[in-house]
Amino acid sequence: MIQGHQALHSRLNFIWAVIYAAGCMLGLRLIQLQILQKGEYRLEAERNRTQMIHQTAPRGRIYDRKGLALATNRPAFSLIYLPGKGKDRPDIKLLKALAADLAIQLKQDPGAVLERLQEAVKEETAIRLAENLPSKTMFRLSELKTIYPGVDLVVEARRYYPFGRFASHLIGYMGKMDPRSWRQLKKEGYRVDSRIGRMGIEQLLEKELRGRDGGIRMEVDAQGRLKRMLERIDWVAGSNVYLTLDAAVQRAADEGLRKSATNRGAVVALDPRNGAILALSSAPDFDPNALLSSDPEEVKRTAATLPEFNHAISGAYPPGSAFKLIVGAAGLNEGRFSTQESIYCPGYFELGRRVFLCHEHKGHKNVSWLTGMAKSCDVYFYQMGLKTGASLIERYAKMFGLGELTRIALKGEKKGNLFGPESRPKARGPWYEGETANLSIGQGELLATPIQMAVMTAAIANKGTLWRPHFTERINYASGDYVQLPERLGSINLKEETWMNVQESMQMVISSGTGKAAAIAGIDVRGKTGTAQNPAGDDHAWFVSYASRAGEAPSIALAVIVENGGHGSSVAAPIAREVIKAYFGLSESPTKRYEPHGARPIGPETARAL
Amino acid sequence: MLIRAETGVKGKIDWAFFAAALGLLAMGTLSVFSAANELPYYGQVIQKHLSALALGGLLFLFGLTFNYQIFQDQAKVLYGVIIAVLVAVLLVGVTQRGQKAWFNLGFMTFQPAELARASTILVLAAFLDFRARKTHEFATVLMTVGVAAPVMMLILKQPDFSTTLVFFPVLLGMLFCAGASIAHLLAVTGFGFMALSMPLFYTLCQVRYAEAGPGSWAYWILQTSRFGAATWIVVGSIIAASVLAWRLAAMARFHVRAVFFVVAPLILISGFFSGIMVHRQLKGYQRNRFVAFLAPETDIQGAAYNVRQSQIAIGSGGVVGKGLFSGTQSRLGFLPERHTDFVYAVVGEELGFFGTMAILSLYLALIWRIVIAGRLARDRFGFLICCGMATMYSFHLVLNVGMCLGLMPVAGIPLPLISYGGSSLVITLWTLGVVANVYSRRYSLL
Repeated sequence: MIQGHQALHSRLNFIWAVIYAAGCMLGLRLIQLQILQKGEYRLEAERNRTQMIHQTAPRGRIYDRKGLALATNRPAFSLIYLPGKGKDRPDIKLLKALAADLAIQLKQDPGAVLERLQEAVKEETAIRLAENLPSKTMFRLSELKTIYPGVDLVVEARRYYPFGRFASHLIGYMGKMDPRSWRQLKKEGYRVDSRIGRMGIEQLLEKELRGRDGGIRMEVDAQGRLKRMLERIDWVAGSNVYLTLDAAVQRAADEGLRKSATNRGAVVALDPRNGAILALSSAPDFDPNALLSSDPEEVKRTAATLPEFNHAISGAYPPGSAFKLIVGAAGLNEGRFSTQESIYCPGYFELGRRVFLCHEHKGHKNVSWLTGMAKSCDVYFYQMGLKTGASLIERYAKMFGLGELTRIALKGEKKGNLFGPESRPKARGPWYEGETANLSIGQGELLATPIQMAVMTAAIANKGTLWRPHFTERINYASGDYVQLPERLGSINLKEETWMNVQESMQMVISSGTGKAAAIAGIDVRGKTGTAQNPAGDDHAWFVSYASRAGEAPSIALAVIVENGGHGSSVAAPIAREVIKAYFGLSESPTKRYEPHGARPIGPETARAL
Repeated sequence: MLIRAETGVKGKIDWAFFAAALGLLAMGTLSVFSAANELPYYGQVIQKHLSALALGGLLFLFGLTFNYQIFQDQAKVLYGVIIAVLVAVLLVGVTQRGQKAWFNLGFMTFQPAELARASTILVLAAFLDFRARKTHEFATVLMTVGVAAPVMMLILKQPDFSTTLVFFPVLLGMLFCAGASIAHLLAVTGFGFMALSMPLFYTLCQVRYAEAGPGSWAYWILQTSRFGAATWIVVGSIIAASVLAWRLAAMARFHVRAVFFVVAPLILISGFFSGIMVHRQLKGYQRNRFVAFLAPETDIQGAAYNVRQSQIAIGSGGVVGKGLFSGTQSRLGFLPERHTDFVYAVVGEELGFFGTMAILSLYLALIWRIVIAGRLARDRFGFLICCGMATMYSFHLVLNVGMCLGLMPVAGIPLPLISYGGSSLVITLWTLGVVANVYSRRYSLL
């Protein structure tokens, strides 16, 4: 020890005191970080190292009544990008190069790709750059994977519609959510890039079809490279839905409309025994697969021109001569005229100072009930309608469901317009007989939807039961099946004789009248044509019909309309013929025509194995 | 004074000191191995570390057995050697990461700045002992700084800013313990403070008010760093303020020695000028480190990100840690410089509070035993060596751990014995050997 240097030792002691105090400060900071705040730092470290890659659950498949898959799932590759963090966040040069390379492969605009990449870097979250990639593109992209850290391909079950343009309005399509609805749906587990059913059954049964999404929690390094899987959350596949739809019938209806003159119209076919929809077709239609394409341009184009209007339930048209079924039923049932009563049709009808023309300007000469119906003689119905009276016709129209919703479970159904002295606003003044004449041939302000006409025709076929149309047969839940039971909208009690007369007249229409084009050998087809005038353009072609094998109860009833198509007899009746033929399995080569195109569809079982 | 006659090896070795050093070595080795585990050059790290341990062990034994007083006798030679190797490295050294700081000896590389850092303490101790009777003179203070200055300049030339930084506390601590006048130290510190804080202040102005145009005060402040009219206005106002203070003190009959009013402005002005010089010399990355600490929101090149990741690593370790070789922050690359400057964060993540406290306590114990060795030293030279070593290692501890905990700026100062670095480890073990030698010779008469 140095002697006499106590002062110096005290200086060293002072330094030690300072060091010790500093050490204590560090200790306190350690307590703060590692004991008091360890939770939040742990969370932060977890957030640093993990990325959730969501896996969309395979959506429940949609089958037709014969077990044919109408909507299914296919494995599809999605391109995802996991940006690096902090010091390892990619610089703008790398991003630009990546964007340029991706843009070529994805056929997207490099600027737009770069924007999305930068967004991902800023938010430090994984994004999907492209979905539903074709396998050729995928292989080329997998090369990029080795050059750019953070680029990865994941396999997912994607919605696939094997038939393409097929029952599009009934089945619907999958689309992106708009930002507003996403805010609400977020709570239900939807993500920004989730797809949601946007129309028809896809929308209606969204909850049932959706299932529960799964995911893979991945460990990533600072460069965004996937290191290993931490946890796998299995998805739960959506419930399969079995429809009452008959794919063959639907295909015939779709094709019939597509081949028609205007490619605008609707076909509704249902089972008159229970109201089960066999086909519901609206033209123009679309291919729902196009909305899931990997090419954003195609999606954009398709979405912009998507024919969303469902003519089958939302289109309201004057029923024209098809309405004569109601007029006849009303007059005959109430005894206002009889089937024996005969009139002379010179081709026109004078009422007061007005002249009402028959569609056959040369006139039908002597006309009774059966010939009146078969030839659809307007003069006969002007006179019988006046005998029956507008109020009665209106009451019967209402009874047959016109002016009322059929309550089909699709969005956008229209009521149409019931027309008559009761439903017309009183302020419009007195009811003129001329209006009765117009009503008698289904013109005027009377409007009906194709589904209403189909339900009405079914009621004639089954002699008085109005069925609520339904298209779901059963839903295959994990806990068991839900089976849809037929539901009555109402019953019409007419005399048996009236039913016989109306049905017989519909047979005459096919055998010797305006509906010859719908005749099928070996099948008892009955129907009524309609050529509805409308102030906006060419006549709408109507045909309502029902059919059965000889000696059996009618098992299909349908309504066909081709907007501005012209004559019901030449335009609508042939479509109905094909639909009915398809229903009875009489089409040329049914099996070949209904083979789905593209790869073998996959279901939950195969998707899980991927 | 009671002198206990402890003889033999048992009395010559400070076992607590020895244990603390061994404990730190063990923890350091473990954490370096764990931190570097995922690196592509892991094998190289292990190999280098183990050979440095072996060489360091030898040098520790050398330091322990070699009479430290010989360094005092041969201080001039030692000083010459220090200057020579530092000049040599600038001429024939190898450049790594922009610093011309390494000798390539073929089988290993060596960083002479590490040798200089430790040996300068011995030289300064010898010099201060030589001026023992004149330590109260300001000249001694200036001369001591003058002895250290060439070494610091040469290291700064490499450029190794962080190692240069260590000399300031060492100088201050040794002068303080040698008995220099507090006023003199304050003057030197004031100068140093001006010289170091002005660049900080300028940098802050540049970053915070990047768009400041003519007329704004930030613009005016930056103008003062350009040796223009603004600079002379500042100098003039310092002189005017001192004259005013002198007159006011005289009027108030408050007796202050006149020399104060001459020295104070001189220190301020020279410090101001030095600050401007340092400001102009600062490299971009050095500036960024300051900025990251002073203004984390204006993060440049992710310096603040590094500290943030370090804090996350330490905090997420919790009490018991995630276990060796299983820290996610370090292994997945979120933590920068994980086996060197930020190795303490790896310890925090993998061994938790127990690990970090263990290193902190062992370090404090080590420094405490150095202080004890200083108190017991048989001569002033040994005492001053211990003072220098204690301040140096505590500075390393506080700056490095403080940086990892987000309390200190990122200065790039490693944690000796824990951070990976061959030269540092070897030299540190040698200095500990010297301290042990001071302790072992506390009773010897020669």
